[in-house]
Amino acid sequence: MSPYNDRQVTKQILNNKTDHLTSYFCNSIMTNYRNFCIIAHIDHGKSTLADRLLERTGRVSAREMIYNQILDDNPLEQERGITIKLHAIQMDYTGVDGKSYKLNLIDTPGHVDFSYEVSRSLHACEGALLVVDATQGVEAQTISNLFMALDQGLEVIPVINKIDLPSAATTIDNVKQQVVDLIGCKEDEIILASAKAGIGIDEILEAVVKRIPPPSGNPDAPLRALIYDSVFDPYRGVIVNVRVFDGTMREKDKIRFMNLGQTYELDEVGVLFMQRQRTGVLEAGNVGYFTAAIRRLQDTKVGDTVTLANKPCEKPIEGFREVKPMVFSGIYPAESDDFENLREALGKLTLNDAAISYEPETSSALGFGFRCGFLGLLHMEIVQERLEREFNQTIVTTVPNVRYRVVSNKNEEVWVDNPSQLPNPTLINEIQEPFIRAQIITPTEFIGTIIKLCMDRRGTMLGQSYLSADRVDLTFELPLAEVVFDFYDKLKSNTRGYASLDYEYADYKAGDLVRMDILLNGEPVDALSSIVHRQKAHDWGKKLCSKLKELIPRQMFEVAIQAAIGAKIIARESIAAMRKNVIAKCYGGDISRKRKLLEKQKEGKKRMKQVGKVEIPQEAFLAVLSLDK
Amino acid sequence: MTGYYVHIPFCEKKCSYCDFYSIESLDLVEAFVNTLIDEIRLRTSSTKPDTIFFGGGTPSLLSPRQLERIIGEIPNFDNAYEVTLECNPGTVSLDKLIAYRSLGVNRLSFGVQSFVESELRFLTRIHTADEASQAMNLARSAGFTNVNVDLMFALPNQTVDTLQYSIDRALALEPDHISAYSLIYEPGTPLYKQLMKGEVSKQNEEVDAGMYAYIIDRLQRAGYCQYEVSNFAKADKQCKHNLVYWHGNDYLAVGPSAHGLVNRTRYWNHRSLATWTQKIRDGQLPQANEEALGRDERLTELLFLTLRADGIPANKISRDFNLDIREILQPDLSYWISEGMIVDSNGVLRLTSNGYAVCDEITVKMLSKLPTPL
Repeated sequence: MSPYNDRQVTKQILNNKTDHLTSYFCNSIMTNYRNFCIIAHIDHGKSTLADRLLERTGRVSAREMIYNQILDDNPLEQERGITIKLHAIQMDYTGVDGKSYKLNLIDTPGHVDFSYEVSRSLHACEGALLVVDATQGVEAQTISNLFMALDQGLEVIPVINKIDLPSAATTIDNVKQQVVDLIGCKEDEIILASAKAGIGIDEILEAVVKRIPPPSGNPDAPLRALIYDSVFDPYRGVIVNVRVFDGTMREKDKIRFMNLGQTYELDEVGVLFMQRQRTGVLEAGNVGYFTAAIRRLQDTKVGDTVTLANKPCEKPIEGFREVKPMVFSGIYPAESDDFENLREALGKLTLNDAAISYEPETSSALGFGFRCGFLGLLHMEIVQERLEREFNQTIVTTVPNVRYRVVSNKNEEVWVDNPSQLPNPTLINEIQEPFIRAQIITPTEFIGTIIKLCMDRRGTMLGQSYLSADRVDLTFELPLAEVVFDFYDKLKSNTRGYASLDYEYADYKAGDLVRMDILLNGEPVDALSSIVHRQKAHDWGKKLCSKLKELIPRQMFEVAIQAAIGAKIIARESIAAMRKNVIAKCYGGDISRKRKLLEKQKEGKKRMKQVGKVEIPQEAFLAVLSLDK
Repeated sequence: MTGYYVHIPFCEKKCSYCDFYSIESLDLVEAFVNTLIDEIRLRTSSTKPDTIFFGGGTPSLLSPRQLERIIGEIPNFDNAYEVTLECNPGTVSLDKLIAYRSLGVNRLSFGVQSFVESELRFLTRIHTADEASQAMNLARSAGFTNVNVDLMFALPNQTVDTLQYSIDRALALEPDHISAYSLIYEPGTPLYKQLMKGEVSKQNEEVDAGMYAYIIDRLQRAGYCQYEVSNFAKADKQCKHNLVYWHGNDYLAVGPSAHGLVNRTRYWNHRSLATWTQKIRDGQLPQANEEALGRDERLTELLFLTLRADGIPANKISRDFNLDIREILQPDLSYWISEGMIVDSNGVLRLTSNGYAVCDEITVKMLSKLPTPL
């Protein structure tokens, strides 16, 4: 049974409404606040809608709108069309009823890697706009975020966006039905809009004040505020974004983070317009920021509760957890002399990305580098790109892997996040790997393809339910390691881009896992070791060897490439020795040209990594990622 | 040691593989000679060239009178002990060769390339195999005692048999020097276009390497000593002019597209007869550009040029650059030596006949080991 047909959901919303109704009478000051967020799949128009709301409420001028998508201010975000860092903006709005309202729009990150941050920013709201593309319909990510919102008792306002697209005429009825089925609303509760064309914006703003309950809470109670984001500012230290539930936050107050335990004195308190606006005070129901001479981003944890040091609230806001890296990869300087520069760059990067972890490690192939942990693959890519773009580092990255839990014969537990560190198999009782619950929404014609893909990746189907006659929601349990590689690309290409994926982390489970090593002329290349399922090892080893044969250039001697499990060779290839490499002519007129050519080749040679005598180009360390291409 | 290079940019017919600057408008030769003389005067220098090289193009298109006029302008011409002139076997006669010799030319270089007619046609050469043999005989008759024969290998459709045949015929002529080049597909040439269109296909590395090894072995046994990747000579008959290039010595150069090295600066002339002529008429040096060589560039050049040729002078590098090159190249140097690719003797690191085949690979590895900044 599909969970969103569950009547409980609706009941939950109703209960929640009653709660808010009660508080309405208790706290009339807060009645003009509305805290909401936007839930949407990538490309369904979240940022455009946000821009439009800001424009309509006069927060930005039409001229500023030229630089569309104001909330995504990081160039990486704009390029990828996804929000990575959270933003919030307070807007002034005068309702049809003539009253003035303050609307806090809290943006949410748009990727599964950041789902914990999403859950915290939803927690800071009373309502959410659910934006669905009129031509695309409901997608996996929409659903998972919607459930999160419903779980937290948010009032959901369904919006169908892009209704002005010509193709919307044929799809819109179907999409409406999907939305009705999904949240159990009435059809006339759905707002039809086009953020791009400015259609439906007034209706949305009216719905925000009419349908979303005002915040509840007691400004006189002990302070209870939720950290939903923080950013690092080189001059002011960490700037913490909070939603105040109870109590009041004032400059000079002594505060305490309830989960981490440190105390600070508040320097500056304010609200978030397009820029931060110092107000000195932040009351229950409102959303804003503070600074408190906090040096490191790691000292503030998203989800933590801020209270007063000498008048603490009873218990912290529920749902806090330490976000743990799920995907690991070695990051090495392309040239070994740059190790210290890379360390410095990583240090600076963690100032505004607290989720990355890094520890020095040594590889016989790659030299000195770092084992880095990421929330997921996207997060990994972002970090790599930021290192290259913002910090000018030329890096070599190894194939990403998950963190394994290894139980020894003596029943001791070891965490392994680098395959080459796996203990000797004779000492291992079992190896456990992380699994995810993946939700895939797809047109029905691709069911077969997707089931096959998931089965190939050692998946188990947990359920399927139809969203409409031609769309289906499939749930699988999959080993994270199988998704880390090219699962998402495969899914997209096998379904011509129609399927959407969302996942959450589930449990660790034991598997028949082995370490596969790659040997070049008999010497193991630690950075190419991987942990694979025994049944897949043979095929995997064969593919990897032949890929490496393509990627490793000929050397002055024959190179044997072997894949091995322990002492047993499971696959091999060889690269014939280079027979000839010399240009025949070099006379007076050729010298400058030849020198420049050699200098270029020299740079390429310097970037090669050497194992024994064998020179390995850097791309080879990511060979696994393109095995099927 | 200094050299003097004169570029004669004319050919009866351009060969499809050649990317040297040359045109087929032979009616412009006389005017060219006049302008060339102007450039020689513009570039007067106090240096006395030890070697002079007339390259092309086809310098043997010059009449003895034209050559005489040019030679008459080259400062200290009589000082040069090696004066080479490149010849197309299809453009020589006994009278002409005798006249050249009387003007002071003492070394001839014949572009023979092959003794197989189909290969000559493929290369769009204007002469036959017999004409090539004939030209060689004429040279001997004219009294030349230092003659080179150019050969090419790894031609499409060439086989070890046809290569062997060409070498047999070349050796039968007992040249003093043989240059054997693996065919290069130079971008911009008609041959390159044929390659791109798929009309011809390159010999694979295996065949190329096999032919190269065969040539080295065969010529060595015939008494020719390899002193550069593509060059083989009887005792004392190495081309001294080319050694000027490879040892990093200065050389002046005149003529369109010619490259020179003077006072640690490389310059290159315009690669267009018209532009080159115009500049000289305007009283300017006809240079397209120049590049001053810093310490890094000079060391890089010295390493790769000497390695290609008769060996890296380790002692000279230690003296001029204050670097212990042997130490810098370890542990690879020991490996190359143990694998029989390099020999270290008399203060020189020299490629063996096996080593020449992978010269560029070794060069790049060597360069990558140089400290940066130097």
